[in-house]
Amino acid sequence: MELVSVKDLTKTYSKHNVVDHVGFDLHPGKCVALLGPNGAGKTTTLRMLAGFIQPTSGTILFNEDTLSKDFRKYVGYLPQHPSFYPWMSGEEFLHYAGQLAGLTKHEVSDRSEKLLQLVHLTDAGKKRIGKYSGGMKQRLGIAQALIHQPKLIMLDEPVSSLDPIGRREVLNLIRELKKDATVLFSTHILNDAEEVSEEILLMNDGKLIEQGPISEIRGMQQTVTIRLSFEKEPKFIHEKLKEIDSVYQVTEENGVFDVTVHDLNAARKAIFERVQEEGWELSLFEITSGTLEDIFMKAVNK
Amino acid sequence: MQWTVILKKELTENWRNFKWIWVPIVFILISIMDPISTYYMPIIIESAGGLPEGTIIDIPMPNPSEAMMMSFSQLNIIGVLILTVISMGTISGEIKSGVYELVLAKPVKYTNYVTAKFFSYWLLMIVSLFLGLLASWYYINLLFGDLAFSQLIVAALFYACWLTLLIAIVILYNTWFKSPGLIAFLSIITVIILSVMTNIFSHVLGWSPAKITEYIAIYLHTGDLDTEIWFSSLIALLVSLSCLLFAIVSLRNKAID
Repeated sequence: MELVSVKDLTKTYSKHNVVDHVGFDLHPGKCVALLGPNGAGKTTTLRMLAGFIQPTSGTILFNEDTLSKDFRKYVGYLPQHPSFYPWMSGEEFLHYAGQLAGLTKHEVSDRSEKLLQLVHLTDAGKKRIGKYSGGMKQRLGIAQALIHQPKLIMLDEPVSSLDPIGRREVLNLIRELKKDATVLFSTHILNDAEEVSEEILLMNDGKLIEQGPISEIRGMQQTVTIRLSFEKEPKFIHEKLKEIDSVYQVTEENGVFDVTVHDLNAARKAIFERVQEEGWELSLFEITSGTLEDIFMKAVNK
Repeated sequence: MQWTVILKKELTENWRNFKWIWVPIVFILISIMDPISTYYMPIIIESAGGLPEGTIIDIPMPNPSEAMMMSFSQLNIIGVLILTVISMGTISGEIKSGVYELVLAKPVKYTNYVTAKFFSYWLLMIVSLFLGLLASWYYINLLFGDLAFSQLIVAALFYACWLTLLIAIVILYNTWFKSPGLIAFLSIITVIILSVMTNIFSHVLGWSPAKITEYIAIYLHTGDLDTEIWFSSLIALLVSLSCLLFAIVSLRNKAID
């Protein structure tokens, strides 16, 4: 049974559909990456799911609760650039956030101690947030999102503003989180999505253009691209590559050839035969497609 | 309860940024400033010198109720200005900094958010107002003569209705505009327009909240409460309430970007 079911979600700002009839389900215990270029409508989608902007049309249903419209109690949300009260300490902010979510004083001090430990802020917990670094704020942001043990955790670009160490820490944290909850995070960095998530939602220009498990999406690809380059460019290489049966398209850029083929094995065999017969001085042979980047570029340029 | 959680946070914030210290002190200073300087004016002029030999300084001493009105008229200018400035960013600042997004991601009721914020500034206003007027009353009794304590309390309560309206207006503008400076400017302009309109059309606008100070002067002088002071105070409270309701509605419909 799905945790959240989103149907026909649309948000219109001044006649422009920022989010355009988007529909998907989120299943418990999964980590889902929301991918898309900047301005694709990722943040707006997350904000509607977080319950604090109202959709123009469409529905968001939590299976827990079909009656109340306020599902914020099931959701933990971290905005892209979280900002806090600089005069509070990290611990105080967690207490505040927890009590806003309806936790008692006792529950909240218990919970915030655990969370500060989880995000490695135990020592900094008593320090004023004004003195925190960017990475510490991001981690405190994750802790405050988790304070009321939400079923769905949503993180908006959680790693894009972090240095490599901070990025690694947050990705590891996301792996921890999906043990207890569903995680939905937006990113435009494909490696991050590939690393921690099982499913992706790919958005462009307000529309959802691909969705499903990463492996499935990879399998759906009809063609494969082989990248070739040569020490010395053979004569008529363009034409000769095109003669191969399963080759469908050849493009060249700065001496690097991208050969799109239908049947990888047949094409590979044919290319190596030519290498032998014609004495091509091959310096690079790489199968480049089937990566998320490839899928992303294809879907976005469609 | 969520409302008390937000109120407590607001009180702590205003304690840590020293508003709970400097606002009452400034209110006390502006309340006692005019009565005291009026009383000592002959001495000040004399010691400043420069007057020809034999000049007789004869400044008529105000009576206690007139001296009290000096405090009110200072509060009406500087007090209003201070209250506007300290509350101009209470919601807009949180929206601007982005912390509003975190608060809102929790199941926070807009009603709680707006009213708790309003109440925290209302408390600060009431405490500062009473301390200021109390100090003024002390010096007036010392220097000008008796003024009943009960009269002071009644006058302060009616005046508080006027300042309540001011805070409600600032809170409403907080939900409409993003820039604290603009909010302060528009709030002051609103108060000025209200006062000017009331002066121009005073024969039909007897119920205007801007008239409260005028009625207080009459009350302090005669000791009688006219129906008009009740009426204009009631209007002030009703308009405050509608400002808060509007603020809640407009915050609920606000798009965050």
